[in-house]
Amino acid sequence: MRYLLEPFGSPFMQRALAEALLLGAVAAVVSVFVVLRRLSFVADVLTHTVFPGVVIGFVVAGTSGIVWGASVFAVLSTVLITVLAGRSRVTEDASMAIVLTGFFAVGVVLVSRQTSFTSDLTAFLFGRILTVDRQQLVVTAVIGAAVLLLLGLLGKELLFRAFDPAGAEARGYRVLALDLVLNLVVALVVVAAVRAVGTVLVIALLVVPGAAGRLLSDRLAGITLIAVGTALLAGWLGLVASWQASVNHGLRLASGATVVLVLVLLYGVAAAIATARKVRA
Amino acid sequence: MSEPTGPVLLRFDHASLAYGRARVVEDVHGSVHGGEAVALIGPNGAGKSTLLRAVLGLVDVVSGRIEVLGSTPARARRDVAYVPQVDTLDAQFPVSVGQVVLMGRYRDVGWLRRPGVRDRALADDALEAVGLAERKDDRFGTLSGGQRQRVLLARAIAQQPRLLLLDEPFNGVDAVSQQALLAALRRLQDDGAAVVVSTHDLALAHLACDEVCLLNKHQVAFGPTEATLTPELLRAAYGGQALELAGDSVIVAR
Amino acid sequence: MVAAVVAAGLLAFAGCGSGGSDRAAGRSDQIDVVATTPVVADFVRNVGGDRVHVVQILKPGVDPHDYEASPADIQAIADADLVVKSGVGLEATWLDDTVSSAGYGGEVVDASRGVTIRQGNGTDEQAAGDPHIWHDPADARIMVGDIAAALVARDPAGKAGYERNAAAYDAKLATLDAQNEAEIGSIPVEQRKLVTNHDAFGYYCARYGITFVGSIIPSFDTSAELSGKELSDLVAKIEQTGVRAVFSESSLPPKTAQTVATEAGVQVVEGEDSLYADGLGPVGSPGGTYLGAERHNTATIVKALGGRV
Repeated sequence: MRYLLEPFGSPFMQRALAEALLLGAVAAVVSVFVVLRRLSFVADVLTHTVFPGVVIGFVVAGTSGIVWGASVFAVLSTVLITVLAGRSRVTEDASMAIVLTGFFAVGVVLVSRQTSFTSDLTAFLFGRILTVDRQQLVVTAVIGAAVLLLLGLLGKELLFRAFDPAGAEARGYRVLALDLVLNLVVALVVVAAVRAVGTVLVIALLVVPGAAGRLLSDRLAGITLIAVGTALLAGWLGLVASWQASVNHGLRLASGATVVLVLVLLYGVAAAIATARKVRA
Repeated sequence: MSEPTGPVLLRFDHASLAYGRARVVEDVHGSVHGGEAVALIGPNGAGKSTLLRAVLGLVDVVSGRIEVLGSTPARARRDVAYVPQVDTLDAQFPVSVGQVVLMGRYRDVGWLRRPGVRDRALADDALEAVGLAERKDDRFGTLSGGQRQRVLLARAIAQQPRLLLLDEPFNGVDAVSQQALLAALRRLQDDGAAVVVSTHDLALAHLACDEVCLLNKHQVAFGPTEATLTPELLRAAYGGQALELAGDSVIVAR
Repeated sequence: MVAAVVAAGLLAFAGCGSGGSDRAAGRSDQIDVVATTPVVADFVRNVGGDRVHVVQILKPGVDPHDYEASPADIQAIADADLVVKSGVGLEATWLDDTVSSAGYGGEVVDASRGVTIRQGNGTDEQAAGDPHIWHDPADARIMVGDIAAALVARDPAGKAGYERNAAAYDAKLATLDAQNEAEIGSIPVEQRKLVTNHDAFGYYCARYGITFVGSIIPSFDTSAELSGKELSDLVAKIEQTGVRAVFSESSLPPKTAQTVATEAGVQVVEGEDSLYADGLGPVGSPGGTYLGAERHNTATIVKALGGRV
């Protein structure tokens, strides 16, 4: 037990843990919707389309500009993607893939124009959870609160639409508007995650917890609880692992990536349990 | 069939429907009274689903009119319930039977609020009405096809609608479920609601419906069941397709 | 239990690491100093002697321009009595965030104070200029002086020892300087031209009268790349000026250097002979100390360009 608590004596690890837990919990709740609505690809597209906003925000206003740039592009790309999904001549998949790669390439081109940008690029893509400061925690908390509020207020309508879009439409709900809200929620999680785990790793937080929950439960409440639990556990254990490895064994394990790795391992555990249940039944 | 005693709840006034530029259904004309059940009959692609969607205000009426509960389809939507085909839904979705039925209350609960005691009571009653109260906590997908169709009807009943639209609810449904569906519909009619149900099953139309609308991209006939389900009219509606009739005879129209 | 399993899995997965821990705290009669680069760490060890426990952040062969601090690094800074950096923007992308995250409130000693900074070649983002000051032994002496002063200020009780050590090391640096000058002097004048992997030897070339023809990576930061045109311009320049060799570096992959050398038909100096541009070699190797690395650089360059060592 000491092993699991030891890393968190210093303020920087406490902040990293707070960020991981906050982000993990919020992303996990969203991931339930992502998995139920089969939005994993859309979520992946959004992680790539927010990226140029991160770069532009950084170029214009330094580190504090990242969240603003990301937010603007989050909104823009959400609208674009929702509209594309609603009406497309080319198949939905293809047009989204085009958007994904186009936006991402813009971001990379912009970054490459700045010669001193490699470390910043890896920071945007993979996060720097160990240097999260108090301000970043506040940003994560605010965005997280907004996300949970939206989901809380519109939860039943989002559920209805997820289960029966035709029925929802017949009832007079604007399905496109509901989809816009959910896509926006996903994009906001990406914005909150940029500093901590980066745009490439956040997709794991947006999919794996919900997927693990779905494996182990047939009820929405159960799925959500397991998803959140998995994310929190992964955040904690991942930070423990990377700290212990670094301080006691001289091994470098990038903290953000280690959290994601633990998350995937936990999914494996969930899969094993689910299979065992099926076999026993 | 009893005489229709209720007011006109749904009126088609030479209505033609279109998706964008393409006209898909022409000249539907007739009315449905409270307490009545009308069968919508025609081959696949005849425009039955489109007509139902038009009653919901989701399809453009390019000429003529559809009047729902004395108003436009969009405005009347609150009191109109739609029961989709059950196989359009994901059987793996992690939602319980009770949760599905409760969804019928959401519109009345409104945005930002949670279903209350009365809503849950209405949902429970609706589930009772289709005979599945004991399955309330089971996952929706664990029920049989017919049972799931009944749950969707319960969802519609929970809405307390004045007009009920059902899209081929009897497809592949077992006898028990069929009985339950018909009984529930009967009760709704007794309370004054009107029912429009699209179906292929002519026997059922004879059994349960007061009127029939024969459709094949245009209206072939709209009138009382016995008078409308004649071989000539059926042939006109179905073209060269095979038909099954009530009783033990099967007629193949050429 | 779960943590142990997970950690084991991760350790097995991760593979290489430098092994052996680098705990932050030294003995109780020592002060803890965190040094960023291998060169600065070497200076601090030489001046600090037994009184100082040095934690070096950047391990040998690691690129200083692009670094993500590990938990151990941040922990070390949090517990440090003093932090010493090389300066001139070398650690700009990561040190400030790391220091503030660690909550270190002490002084961050800038070893470059007092050194005349050369301006950049115009393409880099670093307004601070060329950070590779230590390749000029004269500037290295200034750095050592800064470090000594900082150690004395932080730990007055050790003043005598620090000043003695600093003087001894300073003498070695002076010897190095003279040796470099003599050996480079033996290179035929028209051969005193240098093409390296990235623009790290500006101060060295200025000090010893070598012409810098160009670098494979056109800026001080190792992430930039030569465009097709820049590459062929460089090859043309090499052929034009008659440079005999292209030098690659210990901390960067040699591929581009090899390409340029092949294109231009000149020798590429690589592998064991690579120059130490950004850091030092592994601990215990000849290039593992500043003096060893600089001796190696000069010897390699002089030999390749036709001089006598």
